[in-house]
Amino acid sequence: MGHTSKSPYLKYADPEPFPILNKHSHYDHLFEEMHELEEKGEILVFRITEENKPKYVYTRTGRIKTIPTNKLWHHKSCGQCGNIPGYPASVMWFMNKFGLDYLNEPHQTSCTAWNYHGSGTSNPVALAAVWLRNMHQAWKTGYYPLIHCGTSFGSYKETREQLIFNKELREAVKPILKKLGRLTEDGRIVVPQEIVHYSEWVHAMRDEIAQLYEKEGKPKGIDVSNIRVAIHNACHTWKMMADDYPYDPEVYNGQRPAASTAVIKRLGAQVVDYSTWYDCCGFGFRHILTEREFTRSFAIQRKLKVIAEELKADIIITHDTGCTTTFEKNQWIGKAHGMYYPIAVMSDVMFSALACGAHPFKIVQLYWNCSNYEPLLEKMGITNWRELKKEWEDVVKYIAELEKQGKYDELLEFFKKYDLYEPYSKTSDGFKYRRSATSDMPLFKS
Amino acid sequence: MAEQTQVRKYGYNIPISEKTLQVPWEEKVRVIEEVRSDFRFKDFLFGCLNCGVCTASCPSNRFFDYSPREIVQRFLENDIDVLYDMMHEYIWACSQCFTCWIRCPFVNNPGGLVIIMREVAVRNAFEATKDLLKPYGRVLLKVMTTGNQLSADMLQPDFFPDWGPKMLDNMENLRAKRMAIPFDVGKAVKTAWEVSLQTAIEMYQIWRETGIFELIERLDPNLYNVIMDIVEENEERWEELLEEMGEEQA
Ligand code: SF4
Ligand code: SF4
Repeated sequence: MGHTSKSPYLKYADPEPFPILNKHSHYDHLFEEMHELEEKGEILVFRITEENKPKYVYTRTGRIKTIPTNKLWHHKSCGQCGNIPGYPASVMWFMNKFGLDYLNEPHQTSCTAWNYHGSGTSNPVALAAVWLRNMHQAWKTGYYPLIHCGTSFGSYKETREQLIFNKELREAVKPILKKLGRLTEDGRIVVPQEIVHYSEWVHAMRDEIAQLYEKEGKPKGIDVSNIRVAIHNACHTWKMMADDYPYDPEVYNGQRPAASTAVIKRLGAQVVDYSTWYDCCGFGFRHILTEREFTRSFAIQRKLKVIAEELKADIIITHDTGCTTTFEKNQWIGKAHGMYYPIAVMSDVMFSALACGAHPFKIVQLYWNCSNYEPLLEKMGITNWRELKKEWEDVVKYIAELEKQGKYDELLEFFKKYDLYEPYSKTSDGFKYRRSATSDMPLFKS
Repeated sequence: MAEQTQVRKYGYNIPISEKTLQVPWEEKVRVIEEVRSDFRFKDFLFGCLNCGVCTASCPSNRFFDYSPREIVQRFLENDIDVLYDMMHEYIWACSQCFTCWIRCPFVNNPGGLVIIMREVAVRNAFEATKDLLKPYGRVLLKVMTTGNQLSADMLQPDFFPDWGPKMLDNMENLRAKRMAIPFDVGKAVKTAWEVSLQTAIEMYQIWRETGIFELIERLDPNLYNVIMDIVEENEERWEELLEEMGEEQA
């Protein structure tokens, strides 16, 4: 499929998979520039190889985007790990189910773009250095970066565009990377072939996810066919560097972003449309923390109320950190103004994991979720959720007790079975010299 | 509020604050030039039809006195006073959603212009910017020292009473609950995941080389001191660790 340009990184679908409005994408040109810079020896393109078991999706320009599905380096999200831990856990749970290889290590910072968009206290050189340091680390391990956060994804796409098209940015960031030892041995900057968001991975894996639902979810009595789903696409995935996100003929004939919607449809749930689908959530970066009247007013009036009144949906499906937080945390307060529109909120991968039979509390970690998710669980057929919740609470008690008694070895043994992968076995430098930014001690002692 | 309305050259009557009117003209020109000379500026501003599509789709426009169309128009007309004035409070209403960018028929990026303006406002340590970012100090401290913007211990119910009773429940026995997250680096309380010391040290170098620590110092000297105490302590720990590793290898 597809016709090629002079760059191995730029291919278009032929024939066009859906009507394409934006045929002369400046953004796509960067894949040619990237190739030229590589030929000149300025950069090293961190390629997606067969080992990554690539799959292919379309962008809205008809470009064929390569999505690696295996041997992935989890580029985590601080908002997810700090506040919605079931989000990354669900991604890893699926990878285990599919027997895919991954690395989840501590040698990674956030993208720091949430801070940048909120407070302006950074600059493009710093953002580029943080991004390229993280990418170099992934490259060193041989695992391809999978970006969990929508803002990291958007920011990295934007930073890559700026880096490739602006010599001055390359010249500013290169000496910094050199000092950090984050260039290749022959002095090149490591730039990934594709910047890949986890929702693109979910999108590319939608058939496998649907098969798992048939095989493991349905036999447990789970049925999502009656679930009414409102999709919320995250601004930083599809509005930022809009030419680099999946579109597909099966989702509104390629005229709206396809990720999330496609997997929910593939699972057989009912995707229902609403008038403010294109609106943001109200997160606002700074606003969610320090202008909360705006965030909650926008979330309630432009989304929660509209979704409740137009659709009577059971759930809002998101694919980013900020939107999930905004929608699940800003419902209860609506009671103060007679504007309470309770609805379950979770990401595509969390809902998919539930459908495929993942434990709602141990894996999907709904314990942290402030939305009204219980009626959804009932409707999906997870009617034993109270017992499952109790199970998880007992685990928490057990852990607390072991820690109180200082039984760390027993705790480690417990985690070996409890965790999604064996603790400490999968970092690029092993356990021995592990010290964190907040403590000399690993995990439970910090 | 002390405001003075000037009659504008093009007939616009946008209120400009007294403070802005008192700033020497050359200073205002310098600041706006700093925005214009950013390498991204040329990619964020083209023509403008004045169609208002950006403003009609802008979330911030619904709840604030704020319009991306206005920002674009002011730049095209080089309206120094209004632009300078906007850089104090106006631009901080933007939600950075980039709906304006995807919808503008000219591919202008008003949200991108705003981020350049914010950066320049921070670099120039405007008083209004300092005040506005005061409540943001906790976040800056976390991100500058650990490389994570958010951690579980920041979400205390005292700060977020509006998030409801489930939130209260979450925070009880937090450490044990965090340990019951099923992947090792996620079990941290003070960070979102465990960020290795080496990684934090590299990030400090990035902040130094790119002038970010200096920015913070100008914005909030007290916060800067707290940050630097942690940074220096971590750098010492790193040096010690390197020594230990060297000894073991020898
Ligand atoms: S980026 Fe800012 S100006 Fe543009 S639509 Fe969003 S809130 Fe409005
Ligand atoms: S959408 Fe674009 S052309 Fe229309 S008013 Fe806004 S900036 Fe101008």
